[in-house]
Amino acid sequence: MKNPIWAVVEFRKSRTKDDIFNVLKNVPIFSDLSKKELDEVEKIIHRREFKKGEPIFRMGDPGLGMYIIINGAVNIVEENENGESTTLAVLKDGAFFGDLALLDEAPRSASGIADDNCDILGFFRPDFMDLLYRKPKLGIKILIALSKIIGERLRRTNEQLTQLQKK
Amino acid sequence: MDNYSFQLYSKILKLFWRVFLIILGIAVLIVIFPYVRSVVAMFVIALLLAVLLNPVVDFMESKGFNRGLAILITMMLILGVIVFSVSLVIPGIINAVESLTSKLQSDVITDLNKKVEEFFAVNFNNAELARNVTSKVNEIGLKLLSNMAEFFKSVGSILASVAIVPFITFFLIKDIRRFKRSIIAKIPNKYFELSLNIFQKVGKQVGKYIQGQATDAFIVGCLTVIGLFIINLVFDNPVSQFVFIGMIAGVANLIPYLGPVVGAVPALFIAIISNPANLGIVLIWIVITFVLVQIIDNSIVSPMVVSKSVDMHPLTVVIVVIIGGNIAGAIGMLFAVPVTGIIKVTSKEVIWGLKNYKLK
Repeated sequence: MKNPIWAVVEFRKSRTKDDIFNVLKNVPIFSDLSKKELDEVEKIIHRREFKKGEPIFRMGDPGLGMYIIINGAVNIVEENENGESTTLAVLKDGAFFGDLALLDEAPRSASGIADDNCDILGFFRPDFMDLLYRKPKLGIKILIALSKIIGERLRRTNEQLTQLQKK
Repeated sequence: MDNYSFQLYSKILKLFWRVFLIILGIAVLIVIFPYVRSVVAMFVIALLLAVLLNPVVDFMESKGFNRGLAILITMMLILGVIVFSVSLVIPGIINAVESLTSKLQSDVITDLNKKVEEFFAVNFNNAELARNVTSKVNEIGLKLLSNMAEFFKSVGSILASVAIVPFITFFLIKDIRRFKRSIIAKIPNKYFELSLNIFQKVGKQVGKYIQGQATDAFIVGCLTVIGLFIINLVFDNPVSQFVFIGMIAGVANLIPYLGPVVGAVPALFIAIISNPANLGIVLIWIVITFVLVQIIDNSIVSPMVVSKSVDMHPLTVVIVVIIGGNIAGAIGMLFAVPVTGIIKVTSKEVIWGLKNYKLK
């Protein structure tokens, strides 16, 4: 029979890990990964807690990587030169943002501010590059998924641009 | 107390506590350092080994090896090479040092002493001064050699005491990412991205620098061994223990500008002691060998393998080597430049981070 103390610890541990797996599985760039591959990703992601109003990153900061919301809400805010801010989007549980920073260090185009107390996962470029070298098959899977997302966004932007030009 | 005074008071109190805790922390470190010094030394050696071996392990992992197995294979190979080299080189060196010690007391040095005495008697009309000088030099030489012999005899016990290093190295390589993640997890949100970015960049640059220096030292060592081997072939073995001399030259090369000179001294010294028939020509060829090795190193090897991010002015090198020597003797001189390099890279990245991240 299992010691009940350890059983509780194991249950907590597996529950936390399963939570992360479920969240990751629903993020398009990780959706094609197997359980074993998700386990590798889980080893290099960072889990952070942010209080309401706390900045996750600031507009103009060097881009470092993407964030995935486990629970909570995040405002994506653009600030102009006069310090006035415009909310571009409010992202909730399961949403991800900042994924372009996985590719280069270009400055963030907007700020991410916690709209509520948030539990967030961070997946960062240096770790991704390292993974790409150590586990090329897994890295390429993520890279292709990321390319599809960026391609889809480009397609939509083109469509909107064409519509605007027609007007 | 009005609101402003209260805020000021609480700020001063906070600052006071911070300063107090920092001073307390430094004091605790100073008190416990003597007790944990050996552990710190082992950890530093293990960390250096981990940085050197990690690229090999990563490469094997990228080819499908399990990480744990890759570390084991790499460490077994390295340990095999070390044990083989030590068993090959150390007994020879002990013999050489002992035979040199007896040689110093015998004919070669007696002849040399006589010549110096005659030279002083003819040119300065003072044979007594010459006797003083030669006896002092002999004394220092003998002391140095007997210390060296003792040092190599104690290598075995040192090796036994650092047997724990491979275990630390194994876990450092295996769980390096977990350690990094747990350190980063302690950093407040405000500084999280800045710290993570600096941590990664400094880690990468320092790793590259250490790997580059090690590769450079290895190549310089090999080139020196080849050069001295050729001299030995041509001039009937005037430089015994040339493999060990090559190793010294490789390690000494870690100190820019001064290292190559330090590296050449043992070869010249051994050649003078073995006193071959054509000593002058042998010495010239030894100097030519070391100059050639330096030319190849500076024009081909170093630019290819050593990171340029820690380039230092010659004057800076000389100053930090002197300071390193004052702090920790020969080891301090050896580590002065790499440590300064690490500090330089870290400060550069911290300044970059503080300029580019909005921390308000």
